[in-house]
Amino acid sequence: MIGARNPMKDKVAIAGAATTGFTPHNTARSQASLAAEACMKVIRECGLTAGDINGICGSALPAAVLQATLGIPEVTWFANPSIPFGGQVAAAAAAVHAGLADVVLAYHTPYRLPWNTANSLKDPFRRGGPAIPGAGAGPDTVAGGAGYTAWAARYLHEHGARKEHFGLVAINDRSNAALNPAAAMTAPLTMDDYLGARMIRWPLCLLDMDVPVDGADAFIVTTAERARDMALPPVLIQAAVLGMIDRNEEDQTPGLHRHGQHVVVEALRAKSDFWTDGMDVFFPYDGFSFITLSWIENVGLCGPGEAGAFIEANWDKARNRILIDGRIPVNPHGGALSEGGTQGSGHVREAVHQLQGRAGPRQVEGAATALLTPGGFFFNAQGLTLRKG
Amino acid sequence: MVTDEVLASVFAGTPVDHDTAAHYRGRLERRLLMNRCEDCGAWRHPPRPVCPSCWSPNVRPTAVSGTGTIHLAIFLHQGPPAEGVDYATPYPVVTVELDEAPGLRFTSTLVGAPNDAIRIGRRVRLDWIERAGAPLPVFQLADEAAA
Repeated sequence: MIGARNPMKDKVAIAGAATTGFTPHNTARSQASLAAEACMKVIRECGLTAGDINGICGSALPAAVLQATLGIPEVTWFANPSIPFGGQVAAAAAAVHAGLADVVLAYHTPYRLPWNTANSLKDPFRRGGPAIPGAGAGPDTVAGGAGYTAWAARYLHEHGARKEHFGLVAINDRSNAALNPAAAMTAPLTMDDYLGARMIRWPLCLLDMDVPVDGADAFIVTTAERARDMALPPVLIQAAVLGMIDRNEEDQTPGLHRHGQHVVVEALRAKSDFWTDGMDVFFPYDGFSFITLSWIENVGLCGPGEAGAFIEANWDKARNRILIDGRIPVNPHGGALSEGGTQGSGHVREAVHQLQGRAGPRQVEGAATALLTPGGFFFNAQGLTLRKG
Repeated sequence: MVTDEVLASVFAGTPVDHDTAAHYRGRLERRLLMNRCEDCGAWRHPPRPVCPSCWSPNVRPTAVSGTGTIHLAIFLHQGPPAEGVDYATPYPVVTVELDEAPGLRFTSTLVGAPNDAIRIGRRVRLDWIERAGAPLPVFQLADEAAA
């Protein structure tokens, strides 16, 4: 059952966001080192000290390790929800709204490990990291990353879409990353480059898949009231949804017409004051290029199978990128395919910076609203609406 | 019947537990078993401890015919190490919608056909190969002669 109740609406804010920037190779640093850098930066930028933090919400790096690393004296709430990063935002916001904590430090450390790049095996300190879930079961599965490949193949089959439509998503991200000093991949990308890229799992190639990176993003989540007294303009969390249906296994999900994204869209629309015609910047997830096409269709910008044509009709030829209605950029930081595979934290950080007017050369004039749809189909579809405070 | 200890070692790396053991024991006899609810008749895979449709605990691992239609098809140009798989020829992985029930699907590889013949919509039948000392359910195209 999908409800519209949203007592948290606009009551909780993201007061700041900071990053280390991202590198597409193994750094000589630990996840704790990267997280600490981003966390110290955001705490300072908000005009706070360690003693002001009383909640911690992170991804894989345990909250206990982060607290000990930064000497945060005491916390009354902490959690490590699963990624993508909408999970951290939703949990932190709910904790603040409920009074479990007042000022939550939220973070994510994308890190090159055996599950996302074999190159990590060259670093003896990374070999102990988690492998792909179920990898021991062999190749005869569409669980994990292969799931999106499999439904991308179905998408091509059902709609007569072309590989080039996936390529436009990769090119958009790369063109946008050129203006982002935090981005891992900034060299210009052509359609010929895309079509010539190494195939990994047909029909998806290397450039359809997010870039494994080292880095970290960190955020301060607090009440809207408290955020107004901090150093930076607050960004209000209007609504957050983590959507899922019962048949959520990759090969059992009903189809392109029904999965977690449909729940997210229905619930997020019901809980929010604005939708696509009122958004100033759009962050559809792009961990696989195909996921972006799916979100574009499912949020209602066009019909099923029409995302490729929609992108072509909203293409900014001057900048070689998507500009919806000549106005709304899509993943202006370069997204997972070019800024780096941040599992959504980069998307949230850029949205916060856009709504704070701190996005530098990428700034969307007068940006007041952002629609974010982190994650994919099965057990990780998420939605966030953010607005300027 | 093999012991739990033996079953877990034969399928090392696979998530065998009290809910899935019957499915893997079936593989040792080259029978593809999927849970069917004895009360409401619903089929469901992977195995769950109760029927998700009616909450009956009377879910019985039941052999499927293994005939069906390719619903998803991909080709791995690289992948995890596996006995007899080198990826020099891209390795097909297919999700097959089984004839027993709409939406009941099983994923494996497809053998005995060139990759360009493996397409969504083609009819298939069940076959078995041996992989790392255990039988592996796989598919074959069913209508090769007609094609």
